[in-house]
Amino acid sequence: MSRALVALALLAAALLPLALESEGYAIHVLTLALLFAALGQAWNIVGGLANQMSLGHAAFFGIGAYAATILQIRFGLSPWLGLVVALALGGLAAALISLPTMRLRGHYFALATLACGEVMRVIANTAAPLTGGPAGISVPFGAEGVWMMRFEGGRPIYWLMLGALVVVTVVFEVIRRGALGYRLRAVRENIAAAEAIGVDTARVKLQAAVISGALTAALGVLYAQFNFFFDPDTVFGVASISVRIALMAIIGGIGTAAGPILGALIVIPLEEFANAALSDRAAGLSQLVYGAVLIAMVLVEPRGLMALRFSWTFRPRRASA
Amino acid sequence: MPSDAVPLLEISSLSARYDAGEVLQDISLTMHPQEFLCIIGANTAGKSTLLRCISRLVPRARGSIRFHGQELMDQPAHAIPGLGIAHVPEGRHVFPGMTVEENLCLGAFAIRHRPGLAGRLEAVYALFPRLAERRRQRAGTLSGGEQQMVAIGRAMMLEPRLLILDEPSHGLAPIIVEELHRALVDIHARGTSVLLVEQNTALALSVAGRGYVLEAGRVVLEGAARSLAQDPRVREAYLGL
Repeated sequence: MSRALVALALLAAALLPLALESEGYAIHVLTLALLFAALGQAWNIVGGLANQMSLGHAAFFGIGAYAATILQIRFGLSPWLGLVVALALGGLAAALISLPTMRLRGHYFALATLACGEVMRVIANTAAPLTGGPAGISVPFGAEGVWMMRFEGGRPIYWLMLGALVVVTVVFEVIRRGALGYRLRAVRENIAAAEAIGVDTARVKLQAAVISGALTAALGVLYAQFNFFFDPDTVFGVASISVRIALMAIIGGIGTAAGPILGALIVIPLEEFANAALSDRAAGLSQLVYGAVLIAMVLVEPRGLMALRFSWTFRPRRASA
Repeated sequence: MPSDAVPLLEISSLSARYDAGEVLQDISLTMHPQEFLCIIGANTAGKSTLLRCISRLVPRARGSIRFHGQELMDQPAHAIPGLGIAHVPEGRHVFPGMTVEENLCLGAFAIRHRPGLAGRLEAVYALFPRLAERRRQRAGTLSGGEQQMVAIGRAMMLEPRLLILDEPSHGLAPIIVEELHRALVDIHARGTSVLLVEQNTALALSVAGRGYVLEAGRVVLEGAARSLAQDPRVREAYLGL
């Protein structure tokens, strides 16, 4: 994609909320889509570049959301500082999870990480004095202001999410194009050959996991500020977070910067539409339709929607070559 | 033989084992700078294991391997290329989804030698003009011989002092094998020391200056390649004469 096109898309995304109702439903859905695009992008560092299918990213997400919110409740800490704390804790948690699991591949890695997210959910549910337990936790209300991330209307938090997506996407691209990206691809494609040319495969996987975990935790902080209220089953949930994060990249296209963005812009509105249009018909019908559409997408193009675009544009050229 | 100089590689009383049992027993081997050394022997003689010990890929190895006087047994596997030893593993381990040029660049990327990258690429393309033609092609779509060229070229991107190769001719057409061996002679002539493991004994002895014969994990013969080629035991067991 050309630079001009990216700049134009970014400008359009930045101006879009001005055309929407400030407290409206559309802006809420778009903000959520931006958040999940950013989450999918952070996941993409581990899932796309290192090809380790993590189903445990809720662990980092929840750690970030809880850490910043608890610090805000107890000490009045600004969520901006909470972001810094979340980055550190998310990175630390990712390192701790990565050390025992990095030698696992494929399904085994997915299952091990899935368990990590579940462990965090159970801990958050039982540690009620700290986390509020199953009853959940609320971000304290206070005066409006940038310092406490308390804004009027839905536009500022939309721009905040857009900024977060830009930051995470830039990090992803810098890694992908740089030495770490090449090392990760080497590990993904042929671990024996990677060792033979001197790649410290364990260290490379650890670096990717820490960066991905730190960013995911930071996005958890933004989610807390966006949603005001959450409980362990939402932020540490397998279906609500872990699988959903991975889904953005899988539907859009793993390993590409545009993949998770495309995935989130399709999947999140689809989810909302299915809920709004069908939830009053029959119990579970909306999930059924949503699931059917996802299955259809994966069947049509298992490499994600980005691959579909590439096959359209590049097929004629290949045929002539 | 320049035996007065510090040896490039000095292996003494090296033993290695896998779960199935002892693979190398009390190996001692000396290689001098600028040498082209070959190791010959039957399947399962331990030739590959010996190379893998040098690259520190065999955890259960005992003994000493000194490279320019530095002990390699204290080093982790990923530090070995940085010391100037490039290993071309058996079975042409290329990165299939990457282009030829990306494969080559990775050879240098791993040790942070970005300056001089273009010059190194040109040197590799001069060695294997065929790769220059296919620089944008995915390595997985190349023929076996071309993949082997990528693997050797990738190793040469390190500008190693010692190039070690594990069965580069295995499974390749004779015409490609000849081309590869010409390239190895060329690499050696330009100043890189080469340690070659080959099952193709005739070819190995025709390009190397000196050779070791491995049998069941032990060194049984050692000498100039020319005299090994004349040795009745080698002729009978490995050359089929």
